[in-house]
Amino acid sequence: VRNIQLKDGARVREKLLSLSDYDYSCTSTILDSPMDLSDHVATLRLFPVTEGNRCFIEWSAEFDCPPEKVVELSESVGQGMFQTGFDALKKRYGQR
Amino acid sequence: MKISVNRSAIIDAPIDRVWAVLRDFNSHDRWHPAVARSRMENDVGGDVVGGVRQFTLEDGVDVREQLLRHSDRDYTFTYCILDSSLPLFDYVATVRLKPVTDGNRTFWDWRSQFRTLDEGAAELEKRVGRQVYEAGFTGLRRYLAEQTERPRPPAPQRATAEVTVAGGEHLPSKAVMVAATGGPEVMSLSDVTVSAPGPRQVRIRQTAIGVNTLDIKHRRGIAPGFDLPGTPGMEGVGEIIDVGEQVSGLFPGDRVAYMNRTPGAYADIRCIDGDACIPLPEGLSDIDASSLLKGVTAALLLSRVFRALPGATILIQAVSGGVGHLLSQWAKTMDLTVIGTVSTTEKARFSRDRGCDYPIVVAEDRSPAAEVMRITNGCGVDYWVHSSGARGLDTAVACLARCGHCAVIGDRDEQPVFVDVNGLKQRSLTISAPVCFDYFEDRLYLQRIAHQLFAKIQSRMIIPAIETFPLSRATEAHHRIESRQTMGAIVLIPGG
Repeated sequence: VRNIQLKDGARVREKLLSLSDYDYSCTSTILDSPMDLSDHVATLRLFPVTEGNRCFIEWSAEFDCPPEKVVELSESVGQGMFQTGFDALKKRYGQR
Repeated sequence: MKISVNRSAIIDAPIDRVWAVLRDFNSHDRWHPAVARSRMENDVGGDVVGGVRQFTLEDGVDVREQLLRHSDRDYTFTYCILDSSLPLFDYVATVRLKPVTDGNRTFWDWRSQFRTLDEGAAELEKRVGRQVYEAGFTGLRRYLAEQTERPRPPAPQRATAEVTVAGGEHLPSKAVMVAATGGPEVMSLSDVTVSAPGPRQVRIRQTAIGVNTLDIKHRRGIAPGFDLPGTPGMEGVGEIIDVGEQVSGLFPGDRVAYMNRTPGAYADIRCIDGDACIPLPEGLSDIDASSLLKGVTAALLLSRVFRALPGATILIQAVSGGVGHLLSQWAKTMDLTVIGTVSTTEKARFSRDRGCDYPIVVAEDRSPAAEVMRITNGCGVDYWVHSSGARGLDTAVACLARCGHCAVIGDRDEQPVFVDVNGLKQRSLTISAPVCFDYFEDRLYLQRIAHQLFAKIQSRMIIPAIETFPLSRATEAHHRIESRQTMGAIVLIPGG
């Protein structure tokens, strides 16, 4: 279980459910967070892009939440968490 | 010696655009530089599992390959080599696409496993990886680029000369206006101006507009969702003139079909949400594509509203109508027995040619119950697709087999419909009242089902019957439908 503090001060506890060096994938679930969601399971998986020796990252999550929060939470997970992560990785390894 | 080959690439196009080409197992001679000719044995469609394609490569090698798995949902297919002059044994390959949400692009993974002789194994690995897979990536990129750049033939009979100037601020157009509700005569063709598309919209020059019964109910003022004065029409086909700045994956010159919950299709030129547009495959005519709304409704009934099983029996009311004639053909491709009701012997003949095994001619006030029971040996039908509102719903329920399902389609009627749940409980019957737009809020589902429709039309498994009218004669088209003279679908052609 990792305990992370986001830049806005929010605390999130996440448990690692699976990790495979063979498939380049890991799965985790959120135990506690200030977000109004439950049964969250996220999978991060890398695929080699042989052309140009690059990397394709697929990051997906499924969770339960009240219907009125769907748009807001999808945006904060998809854009705030995943896309921001991609952008940071691209910066770190040189954008291509 | 066992060999695995894996190549992958990122294609700078949305996944639906890439999959629209790749999903056809028989498309390689259009885009793969190594493939000279490709054809399906027995003329089966390029998405039929079990189908066999014959390739002739540019170097003269012949290959026979069989489609083992095909999924529009997962954007993947798997195939094997049956015969080849190359030493490729137990060759099984999989193509898989994944959406790259960052930039709306496509990840394409192509991999295979096979056995070969120890000698020359490394060379064969390179040959498959480079000349088949990597050359395919390059070939498809070029093909997609050509599709976008190719100059389009000018649209026939443009209303005015200014219309040919694409991308201007305002374009003159003609639209059918309904000022007050009433009979067909309340519709008139008016001059309008269409301003540039909004940030998420595209502006389309339409070539075919499907007429639906909902248009008639809007015009008569008996269905909600239509404001006066207004332009009716829920679907259309055309060519994109220009696109808003936030639209990705659509380009001027693209041929698209759309369906939309908000009316406004009866026009030469209009703006529409980019999200609503479905790019058309090459070779599909604009007129055939204008059966989109009716075709996907048919597919929706058979796959989501009830899950039609092979061998089951379906009754389709008004089987010669716009939805009915597509539904009967689609049901036949799923091995259902199709019973249909029609009002004339001419319509019965028409329906028999379009997959209806047992057309029943029913006079306005008569019930087809006795005939339905005779055809089904007293068992009743598994599915009943009901389009006449409250009228005859008790007959529908009486004709259902145990665990049968009645789907009440068509648009909300003036008549309230009451359902006796205790009556349903006697034989575990279910009734649904599906509205297709609710199901197609899920855009991915719509795109998947539209691809299936277009593929079935292209492989001639479904042949839409379409009568065309110039847009200027929309009044006449409505008259024809309301007097129940039509068979198949009616499509309006702008610019006439």
